[in-house]
Amino acid sequence: MSRAVRLEGLAVDYGRTSRRAAVPVLDRTDLEFPAGSFTALLGPSGCGKSTLLGAVAGFVRPAAGRVAVGGTQVCGPGPDRGMVFQQYALFPWRTARGNVEFALKRFGLPRTERRRRALAALAEVGLADGVERYPAQLSGGMQQRVALARALAAEPDVLLLDEPFGALDALTRTRMQELLRRLWQRTGTTVLFVTHDIDEALALAERVVVLGGTPGRVLGDHAVPEGPADPALRARIAGHLGTG
Amino acid sequence: MHASPPSPPEGRALQGRALRRRMPAGGGRAPGRLGPAVAAAAAVLAAWQLLALSGAAAPGLLPSPAQTLAALADSAGSGTLATDLGASLARAGQGFALGAVVGGALGFATGYLPLLSAAVTPVVSFLRPIPAIALVPLATAWFGIGETAKRLLIAYAVLLAVWLYVHDGVSRVPVTHLRAARSLGAPLHRRFTEVLLPAAAPALLAALRYGASVALLALVAAELGGAQSGLAYRLQVDGQFLRVDRMFAGLIVLGLLGVAVDLVLAGIGRRFVHREAS
Ligand SMILES: Nc1ncnc2c1ncn2[C@@H]1O[C@H](COP(=O)(O)OP(=O)(O)O)[C@@H](O)[C@H]1O
Ligand SMILES: [Mg+2]
Repeated sequence: MSRAVRLEGLAVDYGRTSRRAAVPVLDRTDLEFPAGSFTALLGPSGCGKSTLLGAVAGFVRPAAGRVAVGGTQVCGPGPDRGMVFQQYALFPWRTARGNVEFALKRFGLPRTERRRRALAALAEVGLADGVERYPAQLSGGMQQRVALARALAAEPDVLLLDEPFGALDALTRTRMQELLRRLWQRTGTTVLFVTHDIDEALALAERVVVLGGTPGRVLGDHAVPEGPADPALRARIAGHLGTG
Repeated sequence: MHASPPSPPEGRALQGRALRRRMPAGGGRAPGRLGPAVAAAAAVLAAWQLLALSGAAAPGLLPSPAQTLAALADSAGSGTLATDLGASLARAGQGFALGAVVGGALGFATGYLPLLSAAVTPVVSFLRPIPAIALVPLATAWFGIGETAKRLLIAYAVLLAVWLYVHDGVSRVPVTHLRAARSLGAPLHRRFTEVLLPAAAPALLAALRYGASVALLALVAAELGGAQSGLAYRLQVDGQFLRVDRMFAGLIVLGLLGVAVDLVLAGIGRRFVHREAS
């Protein structure tokens, strides 16, 4: 299943203390991500992309407005919204299989079934061989494959990815992008993909939302047509990025 | 001001060990570690023997290794060693268990809850530098010279040590791990047993090892404050009679006890603690 995500006047502040006023990080934002859509959130580092994603995930409390997933207000993290982080996200004391089984535990399956599903999920991301290895024994690309398999194993309605391929080399990154597209097409999950790389955004998403400024706000919202790359669209988006 | 507790020294030792493990094992690890240790022990024994033979010390003040061994055999044969060892182990063990449980629980709580930490840390930072031995008169005044005072003193010293290490380890658990667990639908009890506990396990092990050494220190302080039996009590008695051979034997037993406890804890750690094999 997949569900729509709505940001309704969402604003986030950081650092409110008894002595210091809060610093606005994300300006009042209204956005709607339809069920099953694939959107890239593009913007320079520090513009509040992770903050926005954190608000959807339920890690960050809004200062104003709200996030709704499938019409229900978000008030904390939950397995309906899966998250893939840039790094440090796998549990280093669990093997690849153990990490995926962690996500499957919430279904209360018998042990053998849980194991079978974990192995299938790892095979799907192309990691049939490394299942008993610990994250530290896997390359960065393989770790992100496990992270994808783990996030999807919990069967989320929405998949949130925060610059997940930022630390990977170009070739591995292209392969991971193809894998992610494939997984999205199969599961139909609503995807919000954060990146600061304009070409990655264009290669992956159906829609690119450009964020920028301090505090962060929406600078542009572009549909990406199927088919060959469109230099004019790229130039328009680059123009919006520059206005931040 | 003790704004923040000092970073645990043991953490660095653990990293050192992890580094060593990463290196390819050339001909096995155990002989590599045991060889130098045996050689050093032999050198110390030889130097000791030579010093005792040289007559540099006044008569009766420096027993030879053989005389020390004889004194050890003597106390083992008469049963005083077993009595003292039993009394000391019971005190240190019970005090350690109580202090480790309470200190560990406190460390998890303050490491996980920043607000609680802000409240408790200043208090603990004030108490920590006060040596356990300085509390012996107070413990005696409050609880008498019985076993309760000794156990509580040891427990108190262990509690502070274990709290510091566990707090430090738990507060360093990456927030991403806990967030990932919540996003994967793990309820609080699973986040504790399956994320916080394994992530903090190396710190927990370091805490227990350090706590055990603190328990021995506090044991000696407590027994010197008045006891009817025990390894440190015996040292005091032997001191009054200038039985240096027996004192040497007692000190060696204390040292071996510390090493044995640490080996046991380290062995348990190897079984249960995951170290990153990056
Ligand atoms: N926990 C925090 N406390 C205070 N400021 C923060 C915190 N997290 C992020 N910020 C600040 O908020 C701004 C946006 O951060 P972030 O959402 O991480 O941006 P991005 O992901 O686009 O790089 C930055 O200026 C950053 O320094
Ligand atoms: Mg970010």
